[in-house]
Amino acid sequence: MNGKEFIKHINSKFKRKIVKSEEQVKNQINIWINKKDVKEICDYIFNIMKGRFVITAGTDYRKKSEEEFLVSHVFSLTDDHLFVIVHNLISEEGLEIDSITPDIPAAGWAEREVQDLLGIKMAGHPDPRRLIVADDWPEGVYPFRKDFPHDGFPESVFEYKPKMKENPEGSVIIPLGPFFPTLEEPAYFRLFVEGERIVGCDYRGFYNHKGIEKLGESELNYNQVPFLAERICGICGTAHSTCYCQAVEEAAEIEVPPRAKFIRSIAGEFERIHSHLLWLGIAGHIVGFDTILMQAWRIREPIMWLSEKFTGNRKTYGINLVGGVRRDIPKEWHSEIIAIVDKIYKETKAVLNAIATDTPLLMRLEGVGILTNEDAISFSTLGPTARGSGVAIDSRVDHPYAAYDMVQVNKVVETGEDILARTLVRIKEVFESVEIIKQCLREMPDGPIMAKIDKPIPPGRIGVSSVEAQRGEAHHFVMTGEDNKPYRWKARAPTYQNLQAVPGMIINETIADVPISIASYDPCFSCTERMETVDVKTGKVKIYTKKELEELSRNKYKR
Amino acid sequence: MKVLGLCIFNLVLVIILSPLLEGIIRKTKALVQSRIGPPIIQPYYDLLKLFGKEEITSSDNILFKYTPLICFSVTLLLALLTPFGITAPLNIAGDTIVFIYLLTLGAVMIMMGGVSSESPYAVVGSAREMMMILTVEPVIVIALITAGIKAGSLSFADMTAWQINHGLSFSMAITGGALFLAILTQLAKLPFDIVEAETEIMEGPFIEQSGPRLALFKWSFYVKELIFASLFFSIFLPWPYFQFAPLNIIMNLIKVAVFIFIVGVVDSVNPRLRIDQSVKYFGLVIFFAFAGLAFALVGA
Repeated sequence: MNGKEFIKHINSKFKRKIVKSEEQVKNQINIWINKKDVKEICDYIFNIMKGRFVITAGTDYRKKSEEEFLVSHVFSLTDDHLFVIVHNLISEEGLEIDSITPDIPAAGWAEREVQDLLGIKMAGHPDPRRLIVADDWPEGVYPFRKDFPHDGFPESVFEYKPKMKENPEGSVIIPLGPFFPTLEEPAYFRLFVEGERIVGCDYRGFYNHKGIEKLGESELNYNQVPFLAERICGICGTAHSTCYCQAVEEAAEIEVPPRAKFIRSIAGEFERIHSHLLWLGIAGHIVGFDTILMQAWRIREPIMWLSEKFTGNRKTYGINLVGGVRRDIPKEWHSEIIAIVDKIYKETKAVLNAIATDTPLLMRLEGVGILTNEDAISFSTLGPTARGSGVAIDSRVDHPYAAYDMVQVNKVVETGEDILARTLVRIKEVFESVEIIKQCLREMPDGPIMAKIDKPIPPGRIGVSSVEAQRGEAHHFVMTGEDNKPYRWKARAPTYQNLQAVPGMIINETIADVPISIASYDPCFSCTERMETVDVKTGKVKIYTKKELEELSRNKYKR
Repeated sequence: MKVLGLCIFNLVLVIILSPLLEGIIRKTKALVQSRIGPPIIQPYYDLLKLFGKEEITSSDNILFKYTPLICFSVTLLLALLTPFGITAPLNIAGDTIVFIYLLTLGAVMIMMGGVSSESPYAVVGSAREMMMILTVEPVIVIALITAGIKAGSLSFADMTAWQINHGLSFSMAITGGALFLAILTQLAKLPFDIVEAETEIMEGPFIEQSGPRLALFKWSFYVKELIFASLFFSIFLPWPYFQFAPLNIIMNLIKVAVFIFIVGVVDSVNPRLRIDQSVKYFGLVIFFAFAGLAFALVGA
């Protein structure tokens, strides 16, 4: 069904419970409801209509209406290519709303985040512990409200540390993290172990929370945010900046020139190839197979050189602006690009053949780290994690963006549900990316690469966009504001959803399998945790030079 | 006097030459991985660096303090029992028994060092080491006893002499293969570096060892490489054999280098097995080793 049909359907099903419904932008449906009906309506969309939960965005709406806060649940109707956003206005007197997590496990973290950052109580949430803010953050201080400055720094108070679960009878606690060789970023998996078998798990993350969304709304204007978005993650950079730009372009109804769309697709596919090969190396390293690490990274190196030639950087491309891209891919480069990606295709194929017949490797990957199809759907996992469990979602096809509706994109799906399935998905996606790049280079029309934006972006409009990043769907929600700045910018990385499924996946496995199981989700913790504490004692921001940082570290540990 | 001289010779050989073997392994891995790799004398630099580092202890336990030293001493003692192309200086009638005891002692020291360091990862590593000892030592014992049965004696010198005169037999071939696999675990090389498993349990029993202690543990492993390779060749493949002793020593070193190269290649093309997979695997290997023993008993 299309947008109009959906609006008719939902209105006839829920009659007076829908306060307002509109399709402001094509395929983006906004429904405004009373907060007491939120569980019923969201449950209907998720469980009956089989919508996918995308994210919950909480907004401090106090300047915009007499109602104080806005909680928006975003869903995706995959087969109909629709985004459905369910808005609930919440007044300051009754600062709470029913939690939808009991019916929709995927919303677990998103609701805790709104609770931590805005102070809206999620009634009935099965795990209402603190998630985002640091262990020493005082209660009652909500950093995401508009009256809290972006560089605010309250006094440390340790009483509100979230309680970690206790281990069941007869088991021992093995801490995996916050520091651990296979996790590139700090995360604390508290494993309850009997012998070598895992019987339970708890997770505490968000050590790298960076305050990016707050910065995006307070200090930066529309065209500065893409560069911040690029730095949400060291690997999914262009995915996030593309996603943000697309969300703003949707809200402002800016038409991006076709050539820019193709360039965005090509950049996205470069990133995908390099990330999957990197992941392959890391996975090999974790199971002790360093040869895969060295070879995969050797194969990957030409793409990094190519990226540097095209964008000026090996990794942080920085080519997106609202309305288009900053750099072009001249025709003279096409044959070189095709030669490089063809070589990568061949060499990756050789690696795949070597892996597929390697018995010891299959022993480590097959049947390990099972994520059932049901769990994958109920936690709304994304990307290769979901596709390895038979859930056929891929934003390039479900919510086509950039040039993906003009080229052929095949979804790569496996049904093994184990680590091997996810490995195969990623390797085959490399092949798919090579084909897409070649198609893009062939189909790319001439023309400008940046739209002419000659009027200011109107405030108060909503734009959402999904981009298929390497780890799954990255989703950005933008509410345009005045003064050339977004009023609200919510960036949700794919690992945010995927990590929630980890504790269930590692139960009954052995310790040896935990690092590779976690790694098979390709977790990008920095994507997930978007704020970094600013070192401030006086309230001023100081930028330490490398020398000063080293001095500081040495002095702390000198004896 | 001659015995003392040979003892010193053996000790000097293993202490000085063994890091070079490790260097060969690293260069081999680099070759398979399309890299240049570190210089072949890198392990010497590593040991030198470690000996110069500050000692940081995680526990005051006496075991934690002394297990590295005991492990290294035991390994050096093993070197005095091992034939390096020539008869070992301390060869006695009960060579095999002493050898196996000392081997186990060394492995137990690694375990004790891990458990006494009070780190949960080390405890997991030590538990794995225990399971490895239980499943791998029998293979070594069976292989050596098979050789003993054929030679009619438990002394290494006799085994070597017998093998030279009689050639490779079926039972020796089977148990020799089993012994090769067991050696891989003793050297902590993939696919059996489960005990160390740096990416899974952060170096296991060695996680809290640092500085000179870690150097001693590492050196024990290097020395074991030389010992096992030499022992393997002396007992199962002692050809070519010369009457002139120094030539035998050199020949042994060449064979050891080839052996180490093969170990390096196997290390590069395999991932790490899980401990339960390894235990099952060695159950099978023990069965084959027993088959070899049975064949030896019927004279094959």
